[in-house]
Amino acid sequence: MTTPEVSTGNGLTGDKVLIYHLRDVVKTREAEGTAFRLRVPSLQIALGEKIALIGESGCGKSTLLDMLSMTLKPSEIGSFRFRSEKGAEPVDISGLWRKRQLNRLGDLRRLRIGYVMQTGGLLPYLTVRENINLSRRLLDMPNDGLVDELAGDLGIRRHLDKLPHLLSVGERQRVAIGRALAHRPSIVIADEPTASLDPIAAERIMSLFIELVDELHITVILASHAWRHINRLGLRHLEHHTHREEDGSMTETVVTG
Amino acid sequence: MHHRLKDTFWLAGRDYRNEWQMSGFFILALAAVLGPMLILFGLKFGIVGSMLDNLIEDPRNREIRPVGSGRYNRAWIEELRNRPEVAFIVPRTRAIAATIELKSETGNRILPVEMIPTDRGDPLLKHQKMPQGLQQLILSDSAARKLKVQPGDEISGSLTRRFKGRSERVHLPLQVTDVAKLASFSRDGAFVPLYLVESAEDFRDGRAVPALGWSGSAGDEKDRTYPSFRLYTRSIYDVSPMSDALAKLGIEVSTRAADIDIVRSMDRNLSAVFWLIAIIGLAGFSLSLSASLWANVDRKRKELSVLRLVGLRTADIVWFPVIQSIFTAFFGWLTASLIYLGVSFTINRMFVSQLESGDTLCHLLPAHFLIALVLTLAAAILAASMAGYRAARIEPSEGLRDI
Repeated sequence: MTTPEVSTGNGLTGDKVLIYHLRDVVKTREAEGTAFRLRVPSLQIALGEKIALIGESGCGKSTLLDMLSMTLKPSEIGSFRFRSEKGAEPVDISGLWRKRQLNRLGDLRRLRIGYVMQTGGLLPYLTVRENINLSRRLLDMPNDGLVDELAGDLGIRRHLDKLPHLLSVGERQRVAIGRALAHRPSIVIADEPTASLDPIAAERIMSLFIELVDELHITVILASHAWRHINRLGLRHLEHHTHREEDGSMTETVVTG
Repeated sequence: MHHRLKDTFWLAGRDYRNEWQMSGFFILALAAVLGPMLILFGLKFGIVGSMLDNLIEDPRNREIRPVGSGRYNRAWIEELRNRPEVAFIVPRTRAIAATIELKSETGNRILPVEMIPTDRGDPLLKHQKMPQGLQQLILSDSAARKLKVQPGDEISGSLTRRFKGRSERVHLPLQVTDVAKLASFSRDGAFVPLYLVESAEDFRDGRAVPALGWSGSAGDEKDRTYPSFRLYTRSIYDVSPMSDALAKLGIEVSTRAADIDIVRSMDRNLSAVFWLIAIIGLAGFSLSLSASLWANVDRKRKELSVLRLVGLRTADIVWFPVIQSIFTAFFGWLTASLIYLGVSFTINRMFVSQLESGDTLCHLLPAHFLIALVLTLAAAILAASMAGYRAARIEPSEGLRDI
């Protein structure tokens, strides 16, 4: 144990701290004679890394994101560890699923994970400020000025006291990004965050998003079907291969990285 | 491991306020059911309540009269007086011997009246100046009117008898101490101390009454028996047990127990009708609220799953529709109470001339409002439980993407 290696499973590779460390995680879904399987032989994501998951819909992106965001229980788990910050003990997610400690998983989500949804997912009855502050409020975090700072960076400060329906789609997406970051999570998971925007606005918001997570040292996992501007932002691609049985009875996606 | 009920309360409240049109609609729908129910119950409670009050207040409802005549001596009467149910008892003499002819200066005719024995505490003569001795009486309203006398006036009375084959008449001066209320005695009558009635009976039976200087044979006071008595119980609820007790002694009595029973059974039947209406109304409201809350959960599925995603637990999410239904129940109840207050004020004003002072036609106690609130809350929470169950099944991953 003197030279930490990936194979020791303690979550360290050199000076990198692994936030996710998955081995042999499988999710199988079956419906009317056709089966879908997502297989992750090995996946390591370091703290502060920016990961891109690019592929057409149906390839298993969402399944992987759901498992990483701890909302979907894998069918089989070799090991699944989550380390929220440098120096913290890794949490055995497979154990929590096995023991059905759903509230522990919920607490972990609330504290450590931020989400940006495809179309905002803002609460229509809260103002922009209250929407951004929601995750902080649920954690009883005192106001440290971050909400205003984020609003300034995202260019939505003048909308802070408005209800979301008065904002454009792009502005709403900026609010969603603000909410995902406001409680300083360890990781932000974004599923097609700019799918509903026009390409120019999409690129601008995506750059802003990556800038902000860089600044706050937050790990990010981004799922998208758009190749072009993802490459420019310097994100690491997660490799995945999809294999279909000829009779169509089985689709398997293998993700490694 | 703390629940975020205060956050759920805040979120549910903001959502409720944001959709104020829909919330307002349900508040008014509830008030439209609950308001008339409160008015209906208020009327029932007010009308039946004042009927019962009148029964309780009217002493005639507490009277027990023996049917026919018996032979009761003083000791037996005293024994009865000591019973806890008995508020007032005084013996009666023979009715035929208890008449007197009255004449006043102002009236132009001689008026025969019946004498009613009275004593302190007579329920028919509450707050009136009681006659004392042998020369005072209280006239019934009708007698006072015919004699054209006021309290304090002097009149004269006369009695006749056939004694030893001759007709005899005696006169005695009398003072009117007071006039009884019309409701107390409707015929021509005079309330007099027992001793005066006994004296009149003695005179008619040919016995001497030395106190008034009336001559006759000597009588023995100890042997006196009375054919009847005036008995009033303490409350209307003592009437039935007391008349049963007398029936056991072989004394047949007549009471107004039947009247009391009619009002009480009317109260019971009206209550049953009211509760039937209330249950149908509340159940209907509960069902419609239930359906709307259920649809709300579906409509807000995305928002609720976002809340799950940012960390609210199943137990917190279940509260979301429940809290909103509690809002509806509370504000609906408040509106219904205001409607009730306005309508009952109007009803009572409309009938104010037909009512005795202090009576109200439409009336509720604070406890009734409280009961209405508790029942409404119960119905609303019941209605929300299905929606809560549905909300609990929302997965946090639903919030991640559009379905």
